[in-house]
Amino acid sequence: MDTYKKQIISNQRISKYAIFIILVLLITSFLYPLFFMFLNSVKSHVDYLKNPFSLHITKFEWSNYLTMISQFKIFSLFRNTLIISILTIIFILAIGIIASYSFAKLKFKGKNVILFLILSTMFIPVQVTIIPIYMLFSKLHMVNTYWAVILTYTAMFIPEAILLMTSTFRGIPDELIEAAELDGAGYFDVIRYIIIPMGRSAIILTIIFYFIVTWNDLFTPMVLLQDMEKRTVMVALASLISRYTGDPTFQFAGLVLAAIPAILVYAFFQRFIIKGIGEGSSKV
Amino acid sequence: MKKRFKVNLNKSKALQGLLSIIPVIILLLFIRLYPMVAAIYRSFTNWDGLYKNDWVGLKNYIDIFTNSPFWTLLRNNMVLLISVPLQVIIGLFVAVLLYEEVAGWRFFRALIYIPQIISAVTIGFLFRIAFGLDGPINLILRKIGLGFLAVEWLGNAPTALFVLVLCLTWFSIGWQAIVILGGMSKIPPSVFEAARLDGANFWQRTFRIVVPMISRTLEYAIIMSMVWTFTSVFAFIYSLTNGGPGYETTTIDYMIYIKFYQSSAPYGSACALAVILLIIITIFTIIEMRFANKASEWE
Repeated sequence: MDTYKKQIISNQRISKYAIFIILVLLITSFLYPLFFMFLNSVKSHVDYLKNPFSLHITKFEWSNYLTMISQFKIFSLFRNTLIISILTIIFILAIGIIASYSFAKLKFKGKNVILFLILSTMFIPVQVTIIPIYMLFSKLHMVNTYWAVILTYTAMFIPEAILLMTSTFRGIPDELIEAAELDGAGYFDVIRYIIIPMGRSAIILTIIFYFIVTWNDLFTPMVLLQDMEKRTVMVALASLISRYTGDPTFQFAGLVLAAIPAILVYAFFQRFIIKGIGEGSSKV
Repeated sequence: MKKRFKVNLNKSKALQGLLSIIPVIILLLFIRLYPMVAAIYRSFTNWDGLYKNDWVGLKNYIDIFTNSPFWTLLRNNMVLLISVPLQVIIGLFVAVLLYEEVAGWRFFRALIYIPQIISAVTIGFLFRIAFGLDGPINLILRKIGLGFLAVEWLGNAPTALFVLVLCLTWFSIGWQAIVILGGMSKIPPSVFEAARLDGANFWQRTFRIVVPMISRTLEYAIIMSMVWTFTSVFAFIYSLTNGGPGYETTTIDYMIYIKFYQSSAPYGSACALAVILLIIITIFTIIEMRFANKASEWE
Protein backbone atom coordinates (compact mmCIF):
# COMPACT_ATOMS: atom_id res chain seq x y z
CA MET A 1 0.00 0.00 0.00
CA ASP A 2 2.73 2.38 1.01
CA THR A 3 4.81 1.69 -2.07
CA TYR A 4 1.68 2.16 -4.19
CA LYS A 5 1.24 5.65 -2.77
CA LYS A 6 4.89 6.44 -3.28
CA GLN A 7 4.56 5.27 -6.86
CA ILE A 8 1.66 7.67 -7.42
CA ILE A 9 3.54 10.57 -5.92
CA SER A 10 6.63 9.95 -8.01
CA ASN A 11 4.44 9.55 -11.09
CA GLN A 12 2.91 12.86 -10.30
CA ARG A 13 6.32 14.45 -9.98
CA ILE A 14 7.28 13.15 -13.42
CA SER A 15 4.03 14.35 -14.93
CA LYS A 16 4.63 17.75 -13.38
CA TYR A 17 7.89 18.09 -15.31
CA ALA A 18 6.22 16.79 -18.45
CA ILE A 19 3.48 19.38 -18.10
CA PHE A 20 6.02 22.13 -17.62
CA ILE A 21 7.88 21.12 -20.77
CA ILE A 22 4.71 20.86 -22.85
CA LEU A 23 3.62 24.31 -21.72
CA VAL A 24 7.01 25.79 -22.53
CA LEU A 25 6.87 24.26 -26.02
CA LEU A 26 3.36 25.59 -26.61
CA ILE A 27 4.22 29.07 -25.43
CA THR A 28 7.30 29.03 -27.64
CA SER A 29 5.14 28.24 -30.65
CA PHE A 30 2.97 31.23 -29.72
CA LEU A 31 5.76 33.67 -29.10
CA TYR A 32 8.35 32.64 -31.68
CA PRO A 33 6.44 34.09 -34.67
CA LEU A 34 6.30 37.44 -32.89
CA PHE A 35 9.98 37.27 -32.11
CA PHE A 36 10.65 36.26 -35.72
CA MET A 37 8.75 39.34 -36.87
CA PHE A 38 10.73 41.66 -34.61
CA LEU A 39 14.06 39.99 -35.42
CA ASN A 40 13.60 40.44 -39.14
CA SER A 41 12.23 43.96 -38.88
CA VAL A 42 15.69 45.13 -37.82
CA LYS A 43 17.52 43.17 -40.51
CA SER A 44 18.42 44.44 -43.93
CA HIS A 45 16.59 42.86 -46.85
CA VAL A 46 19.77 41.03 -47.85
CA ASP A 47 20.27 39.53 -44.40
CA TYR A 48 16.63 38.48 -44.37
CA LEU A 49 16.91 36.68 -47.69
CA LYS A 50 20.14 34.98 -46.62
CA ASN A 51 18.69 33.41 -43.50
CA PRO A 52 15.53 34.68 -41.79
CA PHE A 53 16.22 32.56 -38.69
CA SER A 54 19.74 33.72 -38.06
CA LEU A 55 20.15 35.64 -34.83
CA HIS A 56 23.30 37.17 -36.21
CA ILE A 57 22.58 40.63 -37.49
CA THR A 58 25.46 42.17 -39.42
CA LYS A 59 24.00 45.64 -38.96
CA PHE A 60 20.88 46.77 -37.15
CA GLU A 61 18.67 48.25 -39.81
CA TRP A 62 16.56 50.83 -37.98
CA SER A 63 15.85 52.54 -41.28
CA ASN A 64 12.77 50.32 -41.66
CA TYR A 65 11.32 51.97 -38.58
CA LEU A 66 12.42 55.45 -39.59
CA THR A 67 10.76 55.06 -43.00
CA MET A 68 7.61 53.76 -41.30
CA ILE A 69 7.49 56.90 -39.21
CA SER A 70 8.60 59.54 -41.70
CA GLN A 71 7.28 58.23 -45.04
CA PHE A 72 4.44 55.92 -44.10
CA LYS A 73 3.38 58.37 -41.37
CA ILE A 74 2.35 55.56 -39.07
CA PHE A 75 1.77 57.88 -36.12
CA SER A 76 -0.90 59.83 -37.94
CA LEU A 77 -2.54 56.47 -38.66
CA PHE A 78 -2.26 55.74 -34.94
CA ARG A 79 -4.06 59.02 -34.27
CA ASN A 80 -6.93 58.09 -36.61
CA THR A 81 -7.35 54.72 -34.94
CA LEU A 82 -7.13 56.26 -31.46
CA ILE A 83 -9.87 58.78 -32.24
CA ILE A 84 -12.15 55.98 -33.39
CA SER A 85 -11.29 53.67 -30.47
CA ILE A 86 -11.72 56.30 -27.78
CA LEU A 87 -14.96 57.75 -29.11
CA THR A 88 -16.39 54.25 -29.60
CA ILE A 89 -15.57 53.39 -26.00
CA ILE A 90 -17.11 56.64 -24.73
CA PHE A 91 -20.30 55.95 -26.69
CA ILE A 92 -20.49 52.35 -25.52
CA LEU A 93 -20.10 53.46 -21.90
CA ALA A 94 -22.47 56.45 -22.12
CA ILE A 95 -25.27 54.44 -23.71
CA GLY A 96 -24.39 51.11 -22.14
CA ILE A 97 -24.13 52.14 -18.48
CA ILE A 98 -27.60 53.70 -18.28
CA ALA A 99 -29.16 50.84 -20.24
CA SER A 100 -27.44 48.23 -18.05
CA TYR A 101 -28.52 50.08 -14.89
CA SER A 102 -32.06 50.01 -16.20
CA PHE A 103 -31.95 46.29 -17.04
CA ALA A 104 -30.27 45.38 -13.76
CA LYS A 105 -32.12 47.53 -11.25
CA LEU A 106 -35.27 49.20 -12.60
CA LYS A 107 -38.59 47.46 -13.13
CA PHE A 108 -40.75 48.06 -16.17
CA LYS A 109 -42.99 46.09 -18.48
CA GLY A 110 -41.40 43.97 -21.18
CA LYS A 111 -37.91 44.43 -19.77
CA ASN A 112 -36.76 40.87 -20.32
CA VAL A 113 -38.12 40.70 -23.84
CA ILE A 114 -36.34 43.92 -24.79
CA LEU A 115 -33.09 42.71 -23.24
CA PHE A 116 -33.39 39.45 -25.16
CA LEU A 117 -33.97 41.30 -28.44
CA ILE A 118 -31.01 43.60 -27.82
CA LEU A 119 -28.73 40.67 -27.03
CA SER A 120 -29.87 38.72 -30.08
CA THR A 121 -28.61 41.49 -32.40
CA MET A 122 -25.16 40.31 -31.31
CA PHE A 123 -25.50 37.47 -33.80
CA ILE A 124 -26.13 39.65 -36.87
CA PRO A 125 -22.80 39.52 -38.73
CA VAL A 126 -21.51 42.92 -39.79
CA GLN A 127 -20.99 41.63 -43.35
CA VAL A 128 -24.76 41.06 -43.63
CA THR A 129 -25.53 44.70 -42.95
CA ILE A 130 -22.49 46.44 -44.40
CA ILE A 131 -23.83 47.39 -47.84
CA PRO A 132 -27.08 48.94 -46.52
CA ILE A 133 -25.03 50.69 -43.80
CA TYR A 134 -22.68 52.06 -46.42
CA MET A 135 -25.65 53.34 -48.44
CA LEU A 136 -27.28 54.81 -45.34
CA PHE A 137 -24.14 56.72 -44.40
CA SER A 138 -23.53 57.82 -47.97
CA LYS A 139 -27.06 59.32 -48.05
CA LEU A 140 -26.24 61.15 -44.82
CA HIS A 141 -22.87 62.25 -46.30
CA MET A 142 -21.11 60.38 -43.51
CA VAL A 143 -19.06 57.91 -45.53
CA ASN A 144 -15.36 58.67 -45.03
CA THR A 145 -16.05 60.22 -41.64
CA TYR A 146 -14.95 58.74 -38.34
CA TRP A 147 -18.58 58.89 -37.19
CA ALA A 148 -19.64 56.20 -39.65
CA VAL A 149 -17.15 53.75 -38.12
CA ILE A 150 -17.79 54.87 -34.53
CA LEU A 151 -21.58 54.47 -34.79
CA THR A 152 -21.26 51.10 -36.52
CA TYR A 153 -18.81 49.85 -33.88
CA THR A 154 -20.97 51.11 -31.03
CA ALA A 155 -24.03 49.32 -32.42
CA MET A 156 -22.02 46.14 -33.05
CA PHE A 157 -20.43 45.93 -29.62
CA ILE A 158 -23.06 47.38 -27.31
CA PRO A 159 -25.13 44.19 -26.80
CA GLU A 160 -22.10 42.35 -25.46
CA ALA A 161 -21.13 45.32 -23.28
CA ILE A 162 -24.68 45.47 -21.89
CA LEU A 163 -24.60 41.74 -21.18
CA LEU A 164 -21.37 42.16 -19.23
CA MET A 165 -22.35 45.30 -17.33
CA THR A 166 -25.92 44.19 -16.55
CA SER A 167 -24.74 41.01 -14.90
CA THR A 168 -22.19 42.94 -12.83
CA PHE A 169 -24.65 45.70 -11.87
CA ARG A 170 -27.13 43.05 -10.70
CA GLY A 171 -24.69 42.22 -7.91
CA ILE A 172 -24.89 45.74 -6.45
CA PRO A 173 -27.13 45.58 -3.33
CA ASP A 174 -30.56 47.23 -3.75
CA GLU A 175 -30.38 48.58 -0.20
CA LEU A 176 -27.48 50.79 -1.16
CA ILE A 177 -29.47 52.41 -3.96
CA GLU A 178 -32.59 52.76 -1.78
CA ALA A 179 -30.61 54.36 1.02
CA ALA A 180 -29.06 56.85 -1.38
CA GLU A 181 -32.48 57.67 -2.80
CA LEU A 182 -33.90 58.25 0.70
CA ASP A 183 -31.08 60.73 1.16
CA GLY A 184 -32.36 62.52 -1.90
CA ALA A 185 -30.03 61.13 -4.57
CA GLY A 186 -31.49 61.48 -8.06
CA TYR A 187 -31.09 59.24 -11.11
CA PHE A 188 -27.70 60.57 -12.13
CA ASP A 189 -26.43 60.66 -8.53
CA VAL A 190 -27.16 56.93 -8.20
CA ILE A 191 -25.26 56.23 -11.41
CA ARG A 192 -22.38 58.54 -10.54
CA TYR A 193 -21.89 57.55 -6.89
CA ILE A 194 -23.10 53.94 -6.73
CA ILE A 195 -23.35 52.19 -10.09
CA ILE A 196 -20.10 53.39 -11.64
CA PRO A 197 -17.84 52.88 -8.59
CA MET A 198 -19.37 49.52 -7.68
CA GLY A 199 -19.54 48.22 -11.23
CA ARG A 200 -16.08 49.42 -12.16
CA SER A 201 -14.67 45.95 -12.83
CA ALA A 202 -17.10 45.54 -15.75
CA ILE A 203 -16.52 49.10 -16.93
CA ILE A 204 -12.73 48.73 -16.93
CA LEU A 205 -13.01 45.42 -18.78
CA THR A 206 -15.25 47.06 -21.39
CA ILE A 207 -12.72 49.85 -21.94
CA ILE A 208 -9.72 47.53 -22.29
CA PHE A 209 -11.48 44.89 -24.34
CA TYR A 210 -12.98 47.24 -26.91
CA PHE A 211 -9.77 49.20 -27.17
CA ILE A 212 -7.99 46.06 -28.29
CA VAL A 213 -10.85 44.97 -30.56
CA THR A 214 -11.24 48.32 -32.31
CA TRP A 215 -7.49 48.80 -32.59
CA ASN A 216 -7.11 45.50 -34.43
CA ASP A 217 -10.27 45.48 -36.53
CA LEU A 218 -10.05 45.62 -40.30
CA PHE A 219 -13.39 45.04 -42.04
CA THR A 220 -15.60 47.95 -40.96
CA PRO A 221 -13.06 50.79 -41.37
CA MET A 222 -11.84 49.26 -44.63
CA VAL A 223 -15.30 49.66 -46.15
CA LEU A 224 -16.43 52.88 -44.51
CA LEU A 225 -13.15 54.87 -44.52
CA GLN A 226 -11.52 54.87 -47.94
CA ASP A 227 -10.00 58.33 -47.61
CA MET A 228 -6.21 57.92 -47.42
CA GLU A 229 -5.94 60.62 -44.76
CA LYS A 230 -8.47 58.98 -42.48
CA ARG A 231 -7.52 55.31 -42.74
CA THR A 232 -6.91 53.36 -39.56
CA VAL A 233 -3.54 51.77 -38.97
CA MET A 234 -4.74 48.24 -39.75
CA VAL A 235 -6.39 49.31 -43.01
CA ALA A 236 -3.18 51.03 -44.11
CA LEU A 237 -1.00 48.08 -43.13
CA ALA A 238 -3.37 45.62 -44.81
CA SER A 239 -3.01 47.47 -48.08
CA LEU A 240 0.76 47.69 -47.59
CA ILE A 241 1.16 43.95 -47.07
CA SER A 242 -1.22 43.02 -49.88
CA ARG A 243 1.46 44.19 -52.30
CA TYR A 244 3.37 40.97 -52.83
CA THR A 245 6.39 42.78 -54.16
CA GLY A 246 7.07 44.66 -50.95
CA ASP A 247 10.09 44.22 -48.72
CA PRO A 248 9.02 41.98 -45.80
CA THR A 249 11.46 43.58 -43.36
CA PHE A 250 9.79 46.96 -43.90
CA GLN A 251 6.32 45.41 -43.59
CA PHE A 252 7.39 43.67 -40.38
CA ALA A 253 8.51 47.00 -38.92
CA GLY A 254 5.04 48.47 -39.45
CA LEU A 255 3.31 45.44 -37.98
CA VAL A 256 5.59 45.50 -34.93
CA LEU A 257 4.83 49.18 -34.30
CA ALA A 258 1.10 48.59 -34.74
CA ALA A 259 1.13 45.68 -32.28
CA ILE A 260 2.76 47.69 -29.48
CA PRO A 261 -0.25 49.69 -28.18
CA ALA A 262 -2.49 46.63 -27.82
CA ILE A 263 0.31 44.60 -26.22
CA LEU A 264 1.05 47.39 -23.73
CA VAL A 265 -2.61 47.65 -22.75
CA TYR A 266 -2.76 43.88 -22.36
CA ALA A 267 0.44 43.79 -20.30
CA PHE A 268 -0.97 46.30 -17.82
CA PHE A 269 -4.53 44.95 -17.58
CA GLN A 270 -3.92 41.28 -18.30
CA ARG A 271 -5.60 40.03 -15.11
CA PHE A 272 -8.84 41.92 -15.82
CA ILE A 273 -9.05 40.46 -19.30
CA ILE A 274 -8.32 36.86 -18.30
CA LYS A 275 -10.85 37.09 -15.48
CA GLY A 276 -13.47 38.72 -17.72
CA ILE A 277 -13.12 36.23 -20.59
CA GLY A 278 -13.24 33.31 -18.16
CA GLU A 279 -16.33 34.59 -16.41
CA GLY A 280 -18.01 35.46 -19.70
CA SER A 281 -18.58 31.80 -20.44
CA SER A 282 -20.78 31.36 -17.38
CA LYS A 283 -22.88 34.43 -18.03
CA VAL A 284 -24.56 33.44 -21.25
CA MET B 1 -50.88 58.14 1.67
CA LYS B 2 -47.74 56.12 1.98
CA LYS B 3 -48.96 53.51 -0.47
CA ARG B 4 -49.72 56.16 -3.02
CA PHE B 5 -46.22 57.53 -2.68
CA LYS B 6 -44.82 54.09 -3.34
CA VAL B 7 -46.97 53.66 -6.46
CA ASN B 8 -45.76 57.00 -7.77
CA LEU B 9 -42.20 56.04 -7.04
CA ASN B 10 -42.60 52.76 -8.92
CA LYS B 11 -44.12 54.60 -11.84
CA SER B 12 -41.30 57.10 -12.02
CA LYS B 13 -38.79 54.25 -11.77
CA ALA B 14 -40.48 52.48 -14.67
CA LEU B 15 -40.28 55.70 -16.67
CA GLN B 16 -36.60 56.07 -15.81
CA GLY B 17 -36.07 52.49 -16.87
CA LEU B 18 -37.68 53.06 -20.26
CA LEU B 19 -35.92 56.37 -20.89
CA SER B 20 -32.56 54.77 -20.07
CA ILE B 21 -32.82 52.21 -22.83
CA ILE B 22 -34.09 54.57 -25.54
CA PRO B 23 -30.60 55.53 -26.82
CA VAL B 24 -29.49 51.93 -27.30
CA ILE B 25 -32.79 51.02 -28.95
CA ILE B 26 -32.58 53.92 -31.42
CA LEU B 27 -28.99 53.05 -32.23
CA LEU B 28 -29.77 49.39 -32.84
CA LEU B 29 -32.86 50.19 -34.91
CA PHE B 30 -30.87 52.41 -37.28
CA ILE B 31 -27.52 50.64 -37.47
CA ARG B 32 -28.48 46.98 -37.00
CA LEU B 33 -32.16 46.31 -37.61
CA TYR B 34 -32.81 48.69 -40.52
CA PRO B 35 -29.75 47.51 -42.52
CA MET B 36 -30.68 43.88 -41.89
CA VAL B 37 -34.25 44.39 -43.12
CA ALA B 38 -32.91 46.44 -46.04
CA ALA B 39 -30.52 43.63 -46.95
CA ILE B 40 -33.35 41.11 -46.92
CA TYR B 41 -35.55 43.34 -49.11
CA ARG B 42 -32.74 44.23 -51.54
CA SER B 43 -31.86 40.57 -51.95
CA PHE B 44 -34.99 40.28 -54.11
CA THR B 45 -33.97 43.19 -56.36
CA ASN B 46 -31.29 43.97 -58.93
CA TRP B 47 -30.07 46.89 -56.78
CA ASP B 48 -26.75 48.44 -57.79
CA GLY B 49 -26.77 51.26 -55.27
CA LEU B 50 -27.59 53.90 -57.87
CA TYR B 51 -30.16 53.45 -60.63
CA LYS B 52 -31.37 49.90 -60.72
CA ASN B 53 -33.70 48.76 -58.01
CA ASP B 54 -36.32 46.48 -59.61
CA TRP B 55 -37.98 43.51 -58.03
CA VAL B 56 -36.54 40.32 -59.53
CA GLY B 57 -38.02 37.75 -57.18
CA LEU B 58 -35.78 34.81 -56.40
CA LYS B 59 -33.46 35.43 -59.36
CA ASN B 60 -30.46 36.36 -57.17
CA TYR B 61 -30.87 33.23 -55.09
CA ILE B 62 -31.30 30.98 -58.12
CA ASP B 63 -28.21 32.51 -59.72
CA ILE B 64 -26.22 31.98 -56.55
CA PHE B 65 -27.21 28.34 -56.22
CA THR B 66 -26.83 27.43 -59.89
CA ASN B 67 -24.42 29.79 -61.55
CA SER B 68 -21.84 31.05 -59.09
CA PRO B 69 -18.97 29.74 -56.99
CA PHE B 70 -21.38 29.53 -54.03
CA TRP B 71 -20.76 25.84 -53.38
CA THR B 72 -17.02 26.50 -53.30
CA LEU B 73 -17.63 29.27 -50.77
CA LEU B 74 -19.78 27.02 -48.61
CA ARG B 75 -17.19 24.25 -48.84
CA ASN B 76 -14.53 26.68 -47.65
CA ASN B 77 -16.67 27.75 -44.71
CA MET B 78 -17.19 24.11 -43.79
CA VAL B 79 -13.49 23.27 -44.09
CA LEU B 80 -12.58 26.18 -41.82
CA LEU B 81 -14.95 24.71 -39.21
CA ILE B 82 -12.43 21.87 -38.83
CA SER B 83 -10.44 24.34 -36.77
CA VAL B 84 -13.17 24.37 -34.07
CA PRO B 85 -12.68 20.83 -32.68
CA LEU B 86 -8.90 21.31 -32.92
CA GLN B 87 -9.05 24.54 -30.93
CA VAL B 88 -11.35 23.10 -28.31
CA ILE B 89 -9.35 19.91 -27.76
CA ILE B 90 -5.97 21.64 -27.58
CA GLY B 91 -7.49 24.44 -25.50
CA LEU B 92 -8.92 21.84 -23.12
CA PHE B 93 -5.53 20.18 -22.67
CA VAL B 94 -3.85 23.51 -22.11
CA ALA B 95 -6.52 24.50 -19.59
CA VAL B 96 -6.10 21.27 -17.62
CA LEU B 97 -2.32 21.66 -17.73
CA LEU B 98 -2.61 25.21 -16.44
CA TYR B 99 -5.05 24.06 -13.78
CA GLU B 100 -2.42 21.70 -12.43
CA GLU B 101 -0.75 24.93 -11.41
CA VAL B 102 2.82 24.21 -12.32
CA ALA B 103 5.46 26.72 -11.33
CA GLY B 104 4.74 29.99 -13.10
CA TRP B 105 1.24 29.06 -14.24
CA ARG B 106 0.02 32.67 -13.99
CA PHE B 107 2.79 33.65 -16.38
CA PHE B 108 1.84 30.88 -18.82
CA ARG B 109 -1.82 31.82 -18.58
CA ALA B 110 -0.99 35.41 -19.49
CA LEU B 111 1.19 34.39 -22.44
CA ILE B 112 -1.24 31.84 -23.85
CA TYR B 113 -3.72 34.64 -24.63
CA ILE B 114 -1.22 36.78 -26.55
CA PRO B 115 -2.22 35.74 -30.10
CA GLN B 116 -5.67 37.21 -29.38
CA ILE B 117 -4.09 40.60 -28.74
CA ILE B 118 -2.30 40.66 -32.09
CA SER B 119 -4.22 41.90 -35.10
CA ALA B 120 -5.55 39.29 -37.52
CA VAL B 121 -3.84 41.28 -40.28
CA THR B 122 -0.47 40.63 -38.66
CA ILE B 123 -1.14 36.97 -37.94
CA GLY B 124 -2.36 36.28 -41.46
CA PHE B 125 0.72 37.98 -42.88
CA LEU B 126 3.07 35.99 -40.62
CA PHE B 127 1.48 32.74 -41.83
CA ARG B 128 1.69 33.92 -45.43
CA ILE B 129 5.41 34.61 -45.03
CA ALA B 130 5.96 31.36 -43.14
CA PHE B 131 4.28 29.23 -45.81
CA GLY B 132 5.67 31.11 -48.81
CA LEU B 133 7.40 29.12 -51.54
CA ASP B 134 10.82 30.06 -50.17
CA GLY B 135 9.49 30.81 -46.72
CA PRO B 136 10.75 29.53 -43.38
CA ILE B 137 8.60 26.37 -43.32
CA ASN B 138 9.84 25.20 -46.70
CA LEU B 139 13.42 26.14 -45.76
CA ILE B 140 13.17 23.86 -42.73
CA LEU B 141 11.49 21.06 -44.68
CA ARG B 142 14.25 21.12 -47.31
CA LYS B 143 16.96 21.17 -44.69
CA ILE B 144 15.65 18.12 -42.85
CA GLY B 145 15.33 16.16 -46.06
CA LEU B 146 11.60 16.48 -46.50
CA GLY B 147 12.00 18.64 -49.59
CA PHE B 148 9.18 16.81 -51.35
CA LEU B 149 6.80 18.35 -48.81
CA ALA B 150 7.99 21.86 -49.60
CA VAL B 151 5.13 22.69 -51.92
CA GLU B 152 3.60 25.99 -52.89
CA TRP B 153 1.28 25.95 -49.87
CA LEU B 154 -0.85 28.93 -50.79
CA GLY B 155 -1.06 28.03 -54.49
CA ASN B 156 -3.45 25.08 -54.19
CA ALA B 157 -6.84 24.83 -52.53
CA PRO B 158 -6.21 21.88 -50.15
CA THR B 159 -2.90 23.17 -48.77
CA ALA B 160 -4.06 26.81 -48.66
CA LEU B 161 -7.14 25.78 -46.68
CA PHE B 162 -4.92 23.68 -44.43
CA VAL B 163 -2.76 26.72 -43.67
CA LEU B 164 -5.88 28.79 -42.95
CA VAL B 165 -7.21 26.14 -40.55
CA LEU B 166 -3.81 26.02 -38.85
CA CYS B 167 -3.77 29.81 -38.55
CA LEU B 168 -7.28 30.03 -37.04
CA THR B 169 -6.48 27.22 -34.62
CA TRP B 170 -3.23 28.85 -33.54
CA PHE B 171 -5.05 32.14 -33.00
CA SER B 172 -7.91 30.67 -30.96
CA ILE B 173 -6.25 28.15 -28.61
CA GLY B 174 -5.59 30.85 -26.02
CA TRP B 175 -9.20 32.03 -25.99
CA GLN B 176 -10.45 28.46 -25.65
CA ALA B 177 -8.02 27.73 -22.82
CA ILE B 178 -9.04 30.83 -20.85
CA VAL B 179 -12.77 30.20 -21.34
CA ILE B 180 -12.39 26.55 -20.29
CA LEU B 181 -10.29 27.59 -17.28
CA GLY B 182 -13.13 29.95 -16.34
CA GLY B 183 -15.55 27.01 -16.43
CA MET B 184 -13.14 24.81 -14.47
CA SER B 185 -12.83 27.34 -11.67
CA LYS B 186 -16.35 26.29 -10.64
CA ILE B 187 -15.33 22.67 -10.08
CA PRO B 188 -14.66 22.18 -6.36
CA PRO B 189 -10.91 21.59 -5.88
CA SER B 190 -11.75 18.67 -3.56
CA VAL B 191 -12.98 16.72 -6.59
CA PHE B 192 -9.52 17.02 -8.15
CA GLU B 193 -7.79 16.14 -4.89
CA ALA B 194 -9.87 13.00 -4.51
CA ALA B 195 -9.25 11.93 -8.10
CA ARG B 196 -5.54 12.50 -7.73
CA LEU B 197 -5.32 10.50 -4.51
CA ASP B 198 -7.18 7.67 -6.24
CA GLY B 199 -4.43 7.71 -8.82
CA ALA B 200 -6.39 9.12 -11.76
CA ASN B 201 -3.94 10.08 -14.50
CA PHE B 202 -4.00 13.15 -16.73
CA TRP B 203 -6.30 11.61 -19.37
CA GLN B 204 -8.73 10.28 -16.79
CA ARG B 205 -8.82 13.61 -14.99
CA THR B 206 -9.44 15.42 -18.28
CA PHE B 207 -12.13 13.21 -19.77
CA ARG B 208 -13.81 11.67 -16.70
CA ILE B 209 -13.89 14.75 -14.48
CA VAL B 210 -13.35 17.99 -16.34
CA VAL B 211 -15.32 17.35 -19.53
CA PRO B 212 -18.56 16.18 -17.86
CA MET B 213 -18.41 18.94 -15.27
CA ILE B 214 -17.95 21.81 -17.71
CA SER B 215 -20.25 20.60 -20.50
CA ARG B 216 -22.09 23.94 -20.48
CA THR B 217 -18.84 25.89 -20.91
CA LEU B 218 -17.72 23.57 -23.72
CA GLU B 219 -21.00 24.11 -25.56
CA TYR B 220 -20.59 27.85 -25.22
CA ALA B 221 -17.00 27.65 -26.48
CA ILE B 222 -17.94 25.45 -29.44
CA ILE B 223 -20.91 27.46 -30.62
CA MET B 224 -19.16 30.82 -30.19
CA SER B 225 -16.17 29.67 -32.19
CA MET B 226 -18.39 28.21 -34.89
CA VAL B 227 -20.24 31.50 -35.30
CA TRP B 228 -16.89 33.30 -35.14
CA THR B 229 -15.50 31.11 -37.92
CA PHE B 230 -18.44 32.06 -40.14
CA THR B 231 -18.33 35.78 -39.45
CA SER B 232 -14.96 37.02 -38.21
CA VAL B 233 -12.21 35.54 -40.35
CA PHE B 234 -12.22 38.26 -42.99
CA ALA B 235 -8.89 39.81 -41.98
CA PHE B 236 -7.12 36.44 -41.78
CA ILE B 237 -8.20 35.52 -45.30
CA TYR B 238 -7.44 39.00 -46.59
CA SER B 239 -3.83 38.99 -45.46
CA LEU B 240 -3.14 35.26 -45.85
CA THR B 241 -4.59 34.22 -49.21
CA ASN B 242 -6.77 37.12 -50.35
CA GLY B 243 -9.39 34.48 -51.14
CA GLY B 244 -7.23 32.90 -53.81
CA PRO B 245 -6.18 31.11 -55.86
CA GLY B 246 -9.38 32.02 -57.73
CA TYR B 247 -12.17 31.60 -55.20
CA GLU B 248 -10.56 28.54 -53.64
CA THR B 249 -10.23 30.07 -50.17
CA THR B 250 -13.04 32.63 -50.40
CA THR B 251 -15.79 32.27 -47.81
CA ILE B 252 -19.37 33.56 -47.96
CA ASP B 253 -18.64 36.66 -45.91
CA TYR B 254 -15.51 37.38 -47.94
CA MET B 255 -17.54 37.15 -51.15
CA ILE B 256 -19.88 39.89 -49.91
CA TYR B 257 -16.83 42.13 -49.60
CA ILE B 258 -15.62 41.17 -53.10
CA LYS B 259 -19.03 41.94 -54.61
CA PHE B 260 -19.09 45.29 -52.84
CA TYR B 261 -16.03 46.37 -54.83
CA GLN B 262 -17.00 44.86 -58.20
CA SER B 263 -17.48 47.56 -60.80
CA SER B 264 -20.90 46.24 -61.85
CA ALA B 265 -21.99 46.73 -58.21
CA PRO B 266 -24.12 43.57 -57.86
CA TYR B 267 -25.47 44.72 -54.50
CA GLY B 268 -28.76 42.84 -54.82
CA SER B 269 -26.85 39.61 -55.29
CA ALA B 270 -24.47 40.51 -52.43
CA CYS B 271 -27.51 41.04 -50.19
CA ALA B 272 -28.82 37.60 -51.15
CA LEU B 273 -25.50 36.11 -50.02
CA ALA B 274 -25.83 38.13 -46.82
CA VAL B 275 -29.28 36.65 -46.20
CA ILE B 276 -27.94 33.12 -46.74
CA LEU B 277 -25.17 33.84 -44.21
CA LEU B 278 -27.75 35.21 -41.78
CA ILE B 279 -29.86 32.05 -42.12
CA ILE B 280 -26.83 29.85 -41.42
CA ILE B 281 -25.96 31.87 -38.30
CA THR B 282 -29.58 31.78 -37.11
CA ILE B 283 -29.68 28.01 -37.43
CA PHE B 284 -26.50 27.73 -35.33
CA THR B 285 -27.92 30.05 -32.71
CA ILE B 286 -31.19 28.12 -32.47
CA ILE B 287 -29.35 24.81 -32.13
CA GLU B 288 -27.29 26.41 -29.36
CA MET B 289 -30.44 27.50 -27.53
CA ARG B 290 -31.95 24.02 -27.84
CA PHE B 291 -28.76 22.60 -26.37
CA ALA B 292 -28.74 25.16 -23.58
CA ASN B 293 -32.34 24.36 -22.64
CA LYS B 294 -31.66 20.65 -22.62
CA ALA B 295 -28.56 21.14 -20.49
CA SER B 296 -30.49 23.14 -17.93
CA GLU B 297 -33.19 20.43 -17.86
CA TRP B 298 -30.60 17.82 -17.03
CA GLU B 299 -29.10 19.81 -14.21
